[in-house]
Amino acid sequence: MAPDATAAGGIDGGDTSSVVQLSSVTMAFGGLLALGGVDLDVAQGQRLAILGPNGAGKTTLFNVVAGDLVPTQGSVVIKGVDCTRLPSRHRPRLGVARTYQKARSFPGLTVADNLYLALVGRRGRHMSLLWPGRVGRDLRDRARAAASAVWLEDRIGMRVSDLSHGQKRQLEIGMALATDPDVLLLDEPASGLSRGERERLTELLEQLPAHTTLLLIEHDMDVAFQVGRRVVVMADGLVVASGSPEEVQANSLVHEIYLGSEAHT
Amino acid sequence: MRSRSRKSRWVLPATAVSVIALVAAGCGGSDDESSDSSGGSGGGGGDGAPGATEESGVKLGVLGECEGPFGGFHEDTVAGVALALSNLAGAKVESKTSALDGWTGATVNGTPIELVGIGCGDDTADTISEEIRQLVEQEGANIVIGPLSGDEGIAVAEYAKANPELTVLSGIAGSQEPTLQVQAPNFFRFHGDGAIWNAGMGDILHNEEGWDTVAVIADDYSFGHTSAAGFIADFCGVGGDVTTRVFPPLGTTDYSSYIQQLPNPDEVDGYFWAVGGTGTQAALEAFVNAKGDLTGDQHAGNLFFNPDLAQALGTDIAGAYVGGFAVLPGDVQTPEIQQYLASADKTWNTLASGITGGEPGPPSAAAGFGFMYGYYSAGVALVEALEETGGDPSPDALQPALAELELDLPYGPISLDENRSGIVDVGLSQLVEKDGEIVQEAVAIIPEVDQTFGGTFSTDTPPPSRDFPPCEEADLPWVGNAIPVVDGKPQE
Amino acid sequence: MISRRSLTRTNAVVAAVVVLLLVLPAFGSDFFVRFIMTQTLILGLMAATIVFLTAYGGMISLAQLLLAGVAGFMFGNAALSEGARGLNLGLSPWVAVVFALAVTTVVAFLLGALASRTTGIYFLMLTLVYGVIGYTVFAQVVTISGPSGITSIVAPEPFTEPVNLYYAALVLSVLAYIAFRAIGRTNFGLAMQGVRDDPIRMSSLGFNVALHRTLAFTLGGLVAGVAGLLNVWWRKQIDPASINIGPTLAILIIAVIGGISYFEGAWLGALVYVLLNTYTKSIPLIDQIGLTPDRFNTVIGLMVLLIMVLSPEGLAGILERLSRGRGLGKPTQHSVEPPTTSTSPVRTGPGGLQ
Repeated sequence: MAPDATAAGGIDGGDTSSVVQLSSVTMAFGGLLALGGVDLDVAQGQRLAILGPNGAGKTTLFNVVAGDLVPTQGSVVIKGVDCTRLPSRHRPRLGVARTYQKARSFPGLTVADNLYLALVGRRGRHMSLLWPGRVGRDLRDRARAAASAVWLEDRIGMRVSDLSHGQKRQLEIGMALATDPDVLLLDEPASGLSRGERERLTELLEQLPAHTTLLLIEHDMDVAFQVGRRVVVMADGLVVASGSPEEVQANSLVHEIYLGSEAHT
Repeated sequence: MRSRSRKSRWVLPATAVSVIALVAAGCGGSDDESSDSSGGSGGGGGDGAPGATEESGVKLGVLGECEGPFGGFHEDTVAGVALALSNLAGAKVESKTSALDGWTGATVNGTPIELVGIGCGDDTADTISEEIRQLVEQEGANIVIGPLSGDEGIAVAEYAKANPELTVLSGIAGSQEPTLQVQAPNFFRFHGDGAIWNAGMGDILHNEEGWDTVAVIADDYSFGHTSAAGFIADFCGVGGDVTTRVFPPLGTTDYSSYIQQLPNPDEVDGYFWAVGGTGTQAALEAFVNAKGDLTGDQHAGNLFFNPDLAQALGTDIAGAYVGGFAVLPGDVQTPEIQQYLASADKTWNTLASGITGGEPGPPSAAAGFGFMYGYYSAGVALVEALEETGGDPSPDALQPALAELELDLPYGPISLDENRSGIVDVGLSQLVEKDGEIVQEAVAIIPEVDQTFGGTFSTDTPPPSRDFPPCEEADLPWVGNAIPVVDGKPQE
Repeated sequence: MISRRSLTRTNAVVAAVVVLLLVLPAFGSDFFVRFIMTQTLILGLMAATIVFLTAYGGMISLAQLLLAGVAGFMFGNAALSEGARGLNLGLSPWVAVVFALAVTTVVAFLLGALASRTTGIYFLMLTLVYGVIGYTVFAQVVTISGPSGITSIVAPEPFTEPVNLYYAALVLSVLAYIAFRAIGRTNFGLAMQGVRDDPIRMSSLGFNVALHRTLAFTLGGLVAGVAGLLNVWWRKQIDPASINIGPTLAILIIAVIGGISYFEGAWLGALVYVLLNTYTKSIPLIDQIGLTPDRFNTVIGLMVLLIMVLSPEGLAGILERLSRGRGLGKPTQHSVEPPTTSTSPVRTGPGGLQ
């Protein structure tokens, strides 16, 4: 397939609309093969939902894309830059933002500070010992806006450790969205949310700006099929099916390994 | 920061304010126990200079060590001072089993000598500095006796130098620097130093035992350096040669790698050991393992060599020479010494001295050891100087009197050199076998040893170190003056 | 966020303490000002660097006294011209100050970089190892110290005058207190707290976690170095025993007594420590219950134990709880929070807030 060639070619690979390119990505933990040679090519603005049973390698795939893991083999190219061995801290400058399956925010800080840190993370001045000036006030305004976007404006001064589980997930998404990312990786954003909250989440994801590329791991089929314009199904560390939601839903193999066995979680 | 940063915290600083205010207001009257106290330093703007109080008495502070390697000798330090005041100034000790409870009724020419505090050092310069500041600035001491160990001595001399109204008499601090380098005009030392206590040994070993070459192994810290320096200055001064110097760090347990650096017994005439504490025996055992059996007449050591070594090393160690300390070897008995020891037994029933392992033991055992004797010497010096001044403890009167003193003490006369450091007699001894047991016998008294070693050490030379002093001939004033001791009797 | 009113009141009372300390020399005894309070301020400043690293960075450091010692040794080496030991560079005192702080900063950076990938107990152990190695280095390397250390150290003018040194310690303590609190609101300080809470998340947000830890440690080391300079000016000497394990632990104990997450606690703990150290043996009849001076460490140990049992947040935590318990405290954050926080997560979710 094409991705092999472009990935090997590196930085100025041909397809400019391709934002995330994975080529033969293998990830082994000792004897356990979590990813068995995954090729994936995600175009700009694409809304990709990744499905698969537990242990299929979805989160490992995310961690490889996000830089938390260095793949055993293969390459990761984001926006034309070979990121295979680049630590995760270099991702935000490329416009990559992610959430974690289990919400990871900073419990000792306020909602506002969490969002502010997400913005500072992408915008630089990490080491500034000066009180935030005009730029800082600007980021504070954007943090407030990000809080409103995930319905946390009333909680902006609260410490995250005092938030409810659902609010923490909202904040997690808010931190990812705050930086206006080009590539957004969301790992099961709907888990643990009530039905009403899931509807709000779906709505939020559908309103993402057109340039934002979304990679979404989601067990909730309603969310996944509504948000995803393209669906990838993984099993045992491999991509077993790929296509439009309708194509995937029609795929008998998918039914057998995933939809049939797990149905709606 | 977390949750507490958001909570009201005004009570905390408020409490701090009141604590500070209370303590600040209350701390002026801490010396209220003394009947003749003027209330001390509470007045605003007072400069708090030591000895500036109006009354004429001696407010004496004693610096001991209640922690650290010499912590067991805390009792000994105060006992030395108390014994001197008891023998010479009419003091009555408060307790028959401990000197730490102090005394009453000490007067010289009508001037009372009152114990205002006992400093508790731990063998570090930092702690002793804090302790002397407290004795002087808080308890109002105008005269301090102490400290016990070398590095403490440097710090205390520095403090004395910065506080000229104070008079300090060293306890038994055996480094050269307090007198040779710091040169505080108000710091007096009526005892020798670590180098002095090995004086005369090189003379005997080179000129009588025929040693020409020697290897030196000493602890790698100030006392080890100083002790080795005294031997080296003496041995090289009379024409011997030090071929090797090895300095294992303090606290070494496995000495084998350091023993490896020493020459073999057939390559050198003898070895000088200045390794202290548990290291003495460990180092000698490592020597036996690496170089073969000991032959006592090939070895000499500083005061750390003692008959107990024979328990582990056997009687082969017989013949080894041992350096001196502040007192003469125990087998030297003169009427003055006997009288001194008896006075200790009369003053207390028992003392929990370091020499008896911290258990109550005969006071004379403590008095016969250098730690207590050093403090005793200081106490005697204080009393005799006060007698010279007619009881006037002011620095202008007392300090010149101290500098001119010539003390006739039980273990020999002591006077001071121009740096106010003691010119003393040093007693050397030998480990000998008697009825199958190793005992220590005095062999010679080296009279009138001063700390310069004929110019090897001076105010212009650095303190003893791994490579100082170099091995050079010198004109030692005491060469040929050694007084032989036979069966504990000095031969005039 | 911080209740503005209570913050202002805290500031007002801290300011009152500072004013009191400023006029203290007018009515306090010389001993109290020059010995007790000067020592308290210096030790408090050192302990505050532990609080800084712990509260913001989650890094409990046992290397702060070592770094203070590096500054002290380097000042002694640089400023003296004919000392008994050391390099005797004979620089002018203020050049020596710059030299000492520069060396301390470099050392702190290197040690911090080496420790930047460890956290929790491993960081604590590693910094303890630093302390032990530092002690050995200064004890063994005679070119810069040797066993007897550097003596006859003289402070630069005008700090040879004890009262001026007291004011220097006071002013630097106040500056450090303000700066440490202010840093908490800067990008650097917020990021430190982020690193404390979740380093992996910080990395994925774009922060260089290891560098951040390193620089935080360096900053703490620099301030510890400043305290170390005050310390050698006050003590006039420094030797390897000054940075041995005992005094190293004492600094941590001070921070713990005071409350390791309160900056005020550092100085409060130092005051308690110094007062205990100085006055324990003067308490009448104290020896009758077996508390002779050599048991001072036992007293401190019991104090720490007591405080830890009563409040893991130290004396500052106890005072805060007392004030709340008696209703003395002004409205705390809890009481200004909307009541919805105590309700179920579902109701407070997006749906619940519609």
